[in-house]
Amino acid sequence: MSNKPIDCEQALSILYDYLDRELGEHDHEAMEHHLSVCKSCFSRAEFEQRLKEKMKSLREAQPAADSNDRIKQLLKDL
Amino acid sequence: MGVSKELFEKQVLGLLGPLQGVARRLTRNDTEAEDLVAETVTRAWRARDTLESEAAFRSWLFRILNNTFISDLRRAGARPKTESIHADETNEDEAYFSVFEQVHQPFLLWFGNPEQEFLDKLLREDLDRALATLPEHHRIVVILSDLEEFSYSEIAETLEVPIGTVRSRLARARSALQKLLWQQAKDYGLGSEESTRDGEKPCPQAGEQSVAPSARKV
Ligand SMILES: [Zn+2]
Repeated sequence: MSNKPIDCEQALSILYDYLDRELGEHDHEAMEHHLSVCKSCFSRAEFEQRLKEKMKSLREAQPAADSNDRIKQLLKDL
Repeated sequence: MGVSKELFEKQVLGLLGPLQGVARRLTRNDTEAEDLVAETVTRAWRARDTLESEAAFRSWLFRILNNTFISDLRRAGARPKTESIHADETNEDEAYFSVFEQVHQPFLLWFGNPEQEFLDKLLREDLDRALATLPEHHRIVVILSDLEEFSYSEIAETLEVPIGTVRSRLARARSALQKLLWQQAKDYGLGSEESTRDGEKPCPQAGEQSVAPSARKV
């Protein structure tokens, strides 16, 4: 790997970008490499990832039936 | 660009679930949420010429939702206009609170894993409560990023702020959220077994979520 390795401070500064899939390929790889060799950052990333997944489970994707009808009627009347 | 009525209807109906979910979390009130969604759809149709591309529909519609919510708040005089504008510059330390750093003790690892234990004990209602307690400008970035999985650039378009602001606001919002979760955990006693927490209620949406999106009648 020709990429310059990143240290813990750098890894933590891009941790959310990494978890949110906002890193470019180069930084993503550097981060994956760091996490594969650093137990402390790996644990931190794992914690944040699990919390993020728990947050995602709060999502409500299906509309409530009665308000669905209201919006359908509203769209018809536009 | 604008949008035909047919496409507008299709897009709105496809986003109705998320739209209502986000509206409920913003207003914290079912009736107000319904009104907010209806108002958003009406305003969006009136402003349809401002849609720049079909790909931007989602961030465009949620921008109208958020702006409608904020103007309703201001009309109700619920909070001063300036709060969300300056909120990013205050409470610098807020951006650095981490539950992980509070509980992670590498030298104690062989006694267990306190941060995983913390997560295991978190219930849906804990997360609901903490999210509802966040100020609006923090709540909305967490909702868009963690629940709706908007990209940073979509959030930037939705909130009409630079991407750098999305990044810093999200960091502060997550920190504030963790602070609240940490406070809640301390209030019920982290690591202690409490009988009241055994009665975990199933997620009220669980049944509905098993319905495939294609089952939605358009
Ligand atoms: Zn590290």
